[in-house]
Amino acid sequence: MVQSKKQKYLFLAFCLVPTMIMFSIFTLYPLFNGLYYSLFSWSGSSSAAEFTGLSNYVKLFNDSIIPRTIFHDYFLVVTKVFGIMILATFFAVALTQLRIKEAPFYRIVFFFPNIMSVVVIGILWSFIYNPSLGLINSGLELVGLDSWTRPWLGSEDWALPSLVLPSVWAGIGLFMLMLMGGISNVSKSYYEAAEIDGATEWQQFWKVTLPLIWPQIKISILYIVITTLNGSFIIVQVMTGGGPNNSTHVMGSYLYQQAFQQYNFGYGATIGVMILILSLITVLIMQFFMRREKVEY
Amino acid sequence: MKKWRKGPVGLLWAAILILGLMLAGCAPGASGGDEAEGGQSEDTGDTSDGGDDSGDSSGEISGELEIQYFVGGYGDSWWKEVIGDFQEEYPDVTITEHAGPNINEEMRSRWVSDDPPDVVYIDGAGSSETQMVEDGQLMNLTDWVNEMEVDGSPLLDNLIVEPADYDGDIYSLPLVFDTWGTWYDRAWFEEEGFEVPENFDSFMDSMATINDKEGIAPFVTTGQYPYYFLRGMLYPAFAAAGGEELLASVIDGEEGAWTSEPVLEVMKKVEKMQEAGYIDPGFGALNHTQSQMNFLLHDNAFIPVGFWLPNEMANDVPDGFEFGFIPSPMQDAGDPFAIVPDLRPLAIAEKAENPEAAKAFVEFVYNREYATLFSEHTGAIMNMTNVDLTGNENVPPYLTEANEMINDPEQVQIYNKPHPMSSDLETPIGDALTSLMLGNITAEEFVEKAEAAAAEYRGE
Repeated sequence: MVQSKKQKYLFLAFCLVPTMIMFSIFTLYPLFNGLYYSLFSWSGSSSAAEFTGLSNYVKLFNDSIIPRTIFHDYFLVVTKVFGIMILATFFAVALTQLRIKEAPFYRIVFFFPNIMSVVVIGILWSFIYNPSLGLINSGLELVGLDSWTRPWLGSEDWALPSLVLPSVWAGIGLFMLMLMGGISNVSKSYYEAAEIDGATEWQQFWKVTLPLIWPQIKISILYIVITTLNGSFIIVQVMTGGGPNNSTHVMGSYLYQQAFQQYNFGYGATIGVMILILSLITVLIMQFFMRREKVEY
Repeated sequence: MKKWRKGPVGLLWAAILILGLMLAGCAPGASGGDEAEGGQSEDTGDTSDGGDDSGDSSGEISGELEIQYFVGGYGDSWWKEVIGDFQEEYPDVTITEHAGPNINEEMRSRWVSDDPPDVVYIDGAGSSETQMVEDGQLMNLTDWVNEMEVDGSPLLDNLIVEPADYDGDIYSLPLVFDTWGTWYDRAWFEEEGFEVPENFDSFMDSMATINDKEGIAPFVTTGQYPYYFLRGMLYPAFAAAGGEELLASVIDGEEGAWTSEPVLEVMKKVEKMQEAGYIDPGFGALNHTQSQMNFLLHDNAFIPVGFWLPNEMANDVPDGFEFGFIPSPMQDAGDPFAIVPDLRPLAIAEKAENPEAAKAFVEFVYNREYATLFSEHTGAIMNMTNVDLTGNENVPPYLTEANEMINDPEQVQIYNKPHPMSSDLETPIGDALTSLMLGNITAEEFVEKAEAAAAEYRGE
């Protein structure tokens, strides 16, 4: 059937206009509203908002907690990217290549944390880390490593590293599945050819598997970076509330504290703008570094 | 190549969307609403002029009365009873209750859009009396309160604690008299022969005994909310050391207050507790419920919390556990205990639509019958003097005892703070406090940090 031009445009409008309206209301308006309120001194709980120009931004640059929150965020980004990608790749390869009989069982087990709410994970792990009743300290005592026990989440030095483990644990499953999808798309004949050429399993992984699943790896890394920059808020809020003494505050949790607990909503919005800019820059840099031509054999 | 780029950018937009939504969630109301409000604010002016003769006649009071109250550890049964009685007394008033544990968040959009309820009880997470006063949301009650009477004498003479003072003006009336103090298990202490502290020295001795005998760190508090220690232990300590004057200067973050000699001495006491290993080294990770749970399980022996502790933990109290309460023993030997009341106020909105009925309700609440009823229902004390709780079987024993103590100036001195500390000052001080209690900084470093935080707070 041949469509007239009018019909075609009508159809396009039918598809695009509602989306555009929704997008404007729920994305563009809040975005610009956030930018707008970063110029105000506003408690967020009354109608009294005072225009203060760029003073919130001046405060942002003079706030000694801000650099720490940025460092904490990127600490989590780096440790999570390495932790999740190494383990997820390992499990994905193991479950697809090694012909383990119980593979489906492990797939479910590893994916399990992903269907749990992050809040539940946070609460669960704060029990595991509990200094007196927790699994970790009791375990260490059991094997005679009493000197290694410490109040994990209650220590200014250990609280942030302690957050890495639950974040990695919660993230592996999803990326493992993504990589498994990639691996199962790699044709068996490549491996057979490599084997005939005398390549070891290790070489096969580096020369065949890895280049062919690079797109999946790249997506995974980007996804981890973005979700960490925007989402580590939850695990911090649930497990430590940013403490002790700001040693675990990430940008998001600091934003929350300023906007909703210290009643500096305008300043919170300013931190939001900073998160936006930093996320954008990070993603652009990552795009640049991970540019690698798609490999086809 | 291009294809891949689209994915992450899409994700980024999604992230921005979430962020944007977070920020714009509660923008101030449209200006259209303000215009409509114009007529009503005139009404407010009229009624406050004629407010003198409110209260003695019920006929004039009608219309809708909206009451917002937070339901937390005290429950809501007392409110239901009082509001029911008020309804009987003033049948022409239609009462709308806004109540619940999240009511402060739920009503926030009403306050933001200048359409607040008439009466508000300020308590619980997400509410801040100081912030509401700073934002001009509460009605100035100074003149009206000074004329109000209870049982033939001025209301202000009948309150245990006077209303918070904001540069000489009154914006709220303290309703619930709560106070922080130190809790212990009376039964356990009697059984083991532990000493109930009477001052800081005997507190340290008692903790040493418990530490030796039980092998536990005797003192615990929540590190996630350092203000529990600040309000529960330090306020009384400052008050005992330097009276209301020092307390006020510390709360206002006046220049030199935090580095002053008495403050440093108090902080040295905290340092001593830490160095002796009496503060649970894991406290930094605990939220308030976890710390209270550890206390109930005898992982620790002392905890600073307010009167609401028994109510809050009612479902988790082990058999044989008996709550014992003393004012926090931070004072030197020979001095009386210090108590710094923590008040939960009742206020009327500046933009109340029915201020007449709101005032009638506030006046209605303040009488001794409801004060007694309050203690029976909630296990706490309403802010009225001469409420006889002795011999009242419906009141828990710790409360009768505390009530007696509070009325005996030889044992306990009551010090009032001018108003709560602003969260902009409380947060950085709490952070430094956690660091001190973990042993990462010294008392001297702490007061420097606190002074710097106060300087920044004053600069705002």
